[in-house]
Amino acid sequence: MKSTKPSAIIADIVKYVVLIAGALFTLLPFVWMVLSSLKSANEIVQIPPTMIPRKFMFSNYAEAWQEAPFPRYFLNTVFIATVTTVGVLLTSILSAFAFSRLDFPGKKIIFSLFMATLMIPGEMLLITNFITITKLKWIDTYKAMIVPWLANVFYTYLLTQFFSSVPEALYLAAKVDKCSDLKFLFKIMVPMNKNAITTVAILSFIGSWNSFLWPLLVTNSTNMRVLSHGLVRFQSEAGTKYQLVMAASCILVVPIIIVYLFLRKYILEGMSYTGVKG
Amino acid sequence: MNRRSFKGYAYLAPVLVIMLVFTAYPLVKAIFMSFCENYSIINGSYKGINLENYKDLFDDKLFIRALGNTTLYVAFVVPLSVVISLIIANLLNSHIKFQGLFQTLYFLPYVTSVIAIGVVWRWIMNSNYGLLNYILGFFGIGPIGWLSDPKYSMTSLIIFAVWKSLAFNIMIFLAALQGISPDLYAAARVDSTPRLRVFFKITVPAMMPIIAYAFIMGIINAFKVYNEVFSLFNSKAGPVNNEAITIVYYIYDQFYNNYKYGIAAAGSVVLFLLIMLFTMIQRLPGRIKAKKEAAQK
Amino acid sequence: MKMKRIMALVMASIMGASLLTACGGSGGSTETTTAAAAAAGSEKDIQPTTITFWHGMNNKQEQSLTELTEKFNAENEYGITVELVNQGSYSDLQTKLMANAAADTLPDIAQAYNNYFTDYVDKVVALDDFVKNDYPDWDDILESYRTENSEYGKITGVPFNKSTYLFFYNKTMFDELGLEAPKTWDDLQHIGEVILEKKGLAAIGYDSMCDMLEAALRQHGEQYVDETGALFNTDGGLETLEFIMNMYNSGYARLVGEDNYFSDSLSNGMIGGYVGSSTGVSYISTDIEGKEFELGVCPVVGDKTNAAYNAGTNIVMFAKDANNQKAAWEYMKFMTSKESTIKWAMDTGYLPIRTSAYESDEYKAFMEGDITAQAAYEQAPYGFVSKASFTGSNEIRNVVSTTLNELITDKADAQTALDTLVAAVNDVLK
Repeated sequence: MKSTKPSAIIADIVKYVVLIAGALFTLLPFVWMVLSSLKSANEIVQIPPTMIPRKFMFSNYAEAWQEAPFPRYFLNTVFIATVTTVGVLLTSILSAFAFSRLDFPGKKIIFSLFMATLMIPGEMLLITNFITITKLKWIDTYKAMIVPWLANVFYTYLLTQFFSSVPEALYLAAKVDKCSDLKFLFKIMVPMNKNAITTVAILSFIGSWNSFLWPLLVTNSTNMRVLSHGLVRFQSEAGTKYQLVMAASCILVVPIIIVYLFLRKYILEGMSYTGVKG
Repeated sequence: MNRRSFKGYAYLAPVLVIMLVFTAYPLVKAIFMSFCENYSIINGSYKGINLENYKDLFDDKLFIRALGNTTLYVAFVVPLSVVISLIIANLLNSHIKFQGLFQTLYFLPYVTSVIAIGVVWRWIMNSNYGLLNYILGFFGIGPIGWLSDPKYSMTSLIIFAVWKSLAFNIMIFLAALQGISPDLYAAARVDSTPRLRVFFKITVPAMMPIIAYAFIMGIINAFKVYNEVFSLFNSKAGPVNNEAITIVYYIYDQFYNNYKYGIAAAGSVVLFLLIMLFTMIQRLPGRIKAKKEAAQK
Repeated sequence: MKMKRIMALVMASIMGASLLTACGGSGGSTETTTAAAAAAGSEKDIQPTTITFWHGMNNKQEQSLTELTEKFNAENEYGITVELVNQGSYSDLQTKLMANAAADTLPDIAQAYNNYFTDYVDKVVALDDFVKNDYPDWDDILESYRTENSEYGKITGVPFNKSTYLFFYNKTMFDELGLEAPKTWDDLQHIGEVILEKKGLAAIGYDSMCDMLEAALRQHGEQYVDETGALFNTDGGLETLEFIMNMYNSGYARLVGEDNYFSDSLSNGMIGGYVGSSTGVSYISTDIEGKEFELGVCPVVGDKTNAAYNAGTNIVMFAKDANNQKAAWEYMKFMTSKESTIKWAMDTGYLPIRTSAYESDEYKAFMEGDITAQAAYEQAPYGFVSKASFTGSNEIRNVVSTTLNELITDKADAQTALDTLVAAVNDVLK
């Protein structure tokens, strides 16, 4: 499909230059995180900072790893992130379908109310929700860390937008074939929006993976804590051991990248477009 | 089968129940709190129900500054972020080599430690040895005290925030782009329509729902900006005296540090109304267009 | 709208009711405390129980705390088990305590600064009777800590992980310029002049601006702030600000700016010295390649009197159950005992809380090799903390710090600085 016009070649060059420059800029903090995790305590406070560590301190990883019960935190985090992601996908798909394809009394009002809930800062809701969790006697349970996050307006709205783009004709055709709504949703709508749903899965997983304050609030026992809690172990009132924070952050990020690569592969495999003409 | 039925509620039920308990209830309570003078979160006591909190709020110069800063922030960050990420997402989706690698690279900031991001940007923007001033130096500009001169606080914050919001937008735009039917482009290819024209005539309209989403979510999130300030200015709201304070930063401070729960709640209600206003204005063109289209049909 | 109002009313009444029961509960238990503590003499009646202790200690501090607690659990004769719960950093701990105070689910004991519980001091168990009847040597605890723990009009806690603000300086640079550790304001000014002239650097920085101001006022024999407002709108206050603003406006002192922490500035030879927490010494690097130096530590300087600001939390009690209160008290006694505080101080770099601990052979031997501990000991009699027991105290800390930053950036004169600060403080309390 390549054209050989000079203007096209110049456009290609510009494209790559922009992409590479952007990638470098985007990547800088990530690279920095990795390199800092290998610096000595001395080097990390050096001004101006060095880019490449003078000596690679792989021992930082061992030191960081010992500071908290990371294996247990890891299991908790994986469990919570997975269950939350699967759950929120399910609830978001169902409600997105309702908003995009079904007609029911009060639909507009409910949608507006949904959106309205996004407009108040979460910091304001924290204490009230904590009291609710206490009254439910959910302190120190997985439920407390999962259930409140099973409804997500961000994702519902995103999927609503995607579902709305699917031609109405398809839905009507399915109706003619006496295909039930649920069947239509999961046999046609979901596969057609694989990309969007996978994106939501990635976003939800990362959100859950990184959440810090809420899991800390609703748990007291070490056995229930999550990975992000391991990170504050390197901070004290007097300062932060950045090299260890960075090492722990690197450990934390590996599983997310694996999940991302796995899901992305899945997106690409499903790339052969299954839709109909617009 | 009648589509206008209560069946929709069955689909919404799980979300509705959870939201009622964990969002609607605390939200209503926050609204209530905002009208309680000297409200105490500890025992729920208050001196009286009135508008004192709102009066105190608008008497506070810091809140007025936070209002101004936040509005400025939204006005710049959202459009810049959407436009830039739209361009990058399109480049990433075009026929390029190492597409997978590039897409992964642009995703990485989303998973990078917030602390690392803060440290790196404080380095990039350092007035003495920062990367930004180094580059600007080639053009005879600077050195600029991005993080030390109060004049530049908001500029620095906006640059940082645009960068930080790119990864998310690129991700959802890519998902949308990959969902556009190739058939749509086929016709254009036959006509060898110029790329820019294809972009504006085919790609953008096909992505419109998602662009709208990015705008609305961008506005909502930008109005709730807090972490960006915190990490760029190293746990403060600006280099000297709260030059880059935002509404949520103010609310957080009032609630968790100053124990002024009622004022924090009033601040949240004001923020709530503000976001509502902006999203409504933002959706207006879309509605008018929809009405026109409906009329044409 | 109507629905909301009804909901609001229902909520208000529920919360009102819970308030009443909460008050009744804690009131009742305080009485039991009195009775129990009074009866406690030779023989105590404590049933085996588990006590929960929320803390914000990490690293080697947490390790030492765990060792001490395990020792207590193994050795106490009542079958008391203390369970340690790590709640993250200080600010996380503060938020958790606030949330649990609101839900009325506070732990038996917790680490806390006095300004954490300004809003729920009624949930803190008064320890006066315990101290009176069951604490043989309360006077052995340093006076500043006793004052701090009594500022609410009742004894709210026992001192735990204490630190103090010291002057850390580049001794190599000082020696080279023929400078000695400062003892007075004049010394400080002299050091500032010399270092600025010879090295082009500021001589001093302060990690905590609000504490710097309060310390300077106290050193000059003035008062700072109380619930009625600013107390330094005086001639002495003006003199103090003349000194401070002169230091900054002349370039002898500077703000931290883009360095993030003064410990980083000192480590990189970018400042002569700084006043920071004694626990921060582990963050000073003296051997960065090409920037090696010898570290000096001395007490903060005095003027008319000495005054040095302390930091660090206390252990406070929230237990409602009388038996748990008694059990928790056993633990608090254990943690503040001479042996425990010596071990704690030597393990962590925090300071002993007892005079007898400072004077013990064991700790003296430790101080020989620890210049930070020596300097802390020298200024131990002059310690103070900022008053936290009134509404707005926390906000004043922030406002004073940011206002000072702004005044210094604007190179304001002393009178302007004084007027602005007084107005800012009084504005919070109005």
